[in-house]
Amino acid sequence: MSKLVQIVSSRRTWAWPYVLFLGLFVVLPLILVGVYAFTDIDGNFTLRNFAKFFTHSEAIQTFFYSVMIAVFNTVLCLLIGYPAAYIMAQEDFKTPKVMAMLFILPMWINFLLRTVATVELFNMFGLPLGEGALLFGLCYDYLPFMIYPIYNTLQKMDNSLVEAAQDLGASRWQSFWKVIVPLSMPGVYSGIVMVFMPTVSTFAIAELLTHNNIKLFGSLIQDYITTTDLLNYGAVLSLVLLIIIGLTSFFGDHDDKGEGGLV
Amino acid sequence: MRFKLGFLGFLGLLCLLVTPASAQSNLTYNVRTGVTGNVTLLTDFPEVVAGEKINITVQVDPLDSVEIDGLDYVFADRAVADIDQFGDSIYSYTDESEVTWTVWRSHKPIKNRNLRVLVGNAQQTFENYLITNTTPAGRGTGWIWWLFAAILLAAVLAYGGFQIYQRRAEKKLSSVEQEILRRKRMGKRRHYASQAYLWLLLIVLYAPIALIAVFSFTKSKILGNWTGFSMELYANLFTGKADAGLNSAIWYTVVIALIAAVCSTILGTLAAIGIYNMRARARKAVSLLNSVPMINPDIITGISLFLLFVALGMSQGLATVCIAHVVFCTPYVVLSVLPRLSRMNPNTYEAALDLGATPAQALRMVMIPELWPGMLSGFILALTLSVDDFGVTFFTKGSGGLETLSTFIYSDARKGGLTPELRPLFTIILLVMLVALIIINIRNNKQEEK
Repeated sequence: MSKLVQIVSSRRTWAWPYVLFLGLFVVLPLILVGVYAFTDIDGNFTLRNFAKFFTHSEAIQTFFYSVMIAVFNTVLCLLIGYPAAYIMAQEDFKTPKVMAMLFILPMWINFLLRTVATVELFNMFGLPLGEGALLFGLCYDYLPFMIYPIYNTLQKMDNSLVEAAQDLGASRWQSFWKVIVPLSMPGVYSGIVMVFMPTVSTFAIAELLTHNNIKLFGSLIQDYITTTDLLNYGAVLSLVLLIIIGLTSFFGDHDDKGEGGLV
Repeated sequence: MRFKLGFLGFLGLLCLLVTPASAQSNLTYNVRTGVTGNVTLLTDFPEVVAGEKINITVQVDPLDSVEIDGLDYVFADRAVADIDQFGDSIYSYTDESEVTWTVWRSHKPIKNRNLRVLVGNAQQTFENYLITNTTPAGRGTGWIWWLFAAILLAAVLAYGGFQIYQRRAEKKLSSVEQEILRRKRMGKRRHYASQAYLWLLLIVLYAPIALIAVFSFTKSKILGNWTGFSMELYANLFTGKADAGLNSAIWYTVVIALIAAVCSTILGTLAAIGIYNMRARARKAVSLLNSVPMINPDIITGISLFLLFVALGMSQGLATVCIAHVVFCTPYVVLSVLPRLSRMNPNTYEAALDLGATPAQALRMVMIPELWPGMLSGFILALTLSVDDFGVTFFTKGSGGLETLSTFIYSDARKGGLTPELRPLFTIILLVMLVALIIINIRNNKQEEK
């Protein structure tokens, strides 16, 4: 009895339920993805699912297309988002602080509803739905994820460094490229990760924005995983996506703590 | 003349005879697998009023079970109804033999439009399918472009004129003064350009949302079709007259968010206290594990949990959705409680125990009052994450008809329409958020002043 009391009162043990929970609902499911990928419908070990993936030209093409779209979208978000974050963080531009909040506010509106509204907007202006609409919609949905981390790092940046550079004779342009950009890299990294990962795995936005004419990898996975007999093949596709995600988050490790930056 | 009339009459009769027949015509299709089958149009030529909804049903038959790689399955492919010049395609995945599309949008008058049905790679056009003689309310949208162009032109002209006027005045000044003015002007120009950039971005960012908000004040079924000011949609929303599916979706969203937020707050707070008191190595390991659900995109979390529930043979429904939401909410609670812990005096808990409190009492009376702000922000964060989630819910909700707002919008949009009452709902959410944001901002400013 006294031992039990000791265990409970040692606060270290209070995390055990959560660790158990994580093991059961995070680690085990991820392992299961691998297990399903290597088994057939009866649960026997097989490599046929993988063989199918490498000969399934539609899946390969969709995969590369999705990665391309995701890269393109990330670059687009960076090109549009960096100047915005820079302007907001610069003191001499005197941007009201509410501005930064206004950029995050749309994220509280359901992204599907925003996407549907974007489709309606395109209809209203008589613009065709397709690749252009897809890129616009993706950029629109994920731009705040790029702006916010960059804004955060730029705001925390010590401004005297820029002043020092200018005192030492650097032009505006030089001090931007040699001081501000390198210092804001952690924010850029985490912004890239936060935009790239959801874009590469998105599945509903593309359907709505292109009237299902363009299929991204996420939609493909969704198709297979929800078809009972093709679940194992779907698991292979998910595994491929997981590898991409793993690589990306490894890339994002440069950033010390950009996570939860949206809080 | 008489001959011509007779000929036309003959043609008309021929059309009458021919058209219904073509509605029954078959279409052979090749799906990805190379199966062939027939598509029959079941609905007769309907007469529609623009903006009203019609149902078109197509029978896809036979849906062979196909053998691919030794696997036997009924192949489901998409069927698309593309109503010519509607500008809309209505698509639907099918593994049923009948597909029904609901068409309820068109901004233009529809007259004798053609219906094109695409299944797999094949298509079949049914000519003169939709017939209507009414013009929908609202005007065309071409004028918007002209308005834009006019505003832009006016702005450019005004700016140019102003500049010329200023330069003329400056010519009288000395060169030093001119240089100073030039520098000032450059700074100002940079300032205005940067502000204009931000505002432009905000306008683009808010345009779709504004569209929803504006059209929540008209009762038209179609987003983008203004039929006069009306508060009917708001009234419908609050008196429960809205679509039954929407009502249950709102209900489920709230219930799931509350359950998930409460559970994850309790679990996450305990976990944070535990993690904080762990030895360095264990702490690092658990923190890493804790970050996995945050890094995983929702599709991966959703699919992996879906596979778990399939493997365990759990029937999917409310319980599985709640578990899934706790999975991705708890890490954020842990992260918002941890900073409070490091700010707190670590010895107060032990002091309480020494003074005779049980661990539960010490937790309730010493720890929780200190951790409260962190727990609250974690709770609110969990609520918003849960309400906003789509990917995870989609894979764990099962097929029992459970829908949250996100999945409801998704299935709604796939059918080619949007339940009108969603517009006032999200307008209200936006306003509440805006007010909350302003309050937080004012409070922060006050704290800064102190």
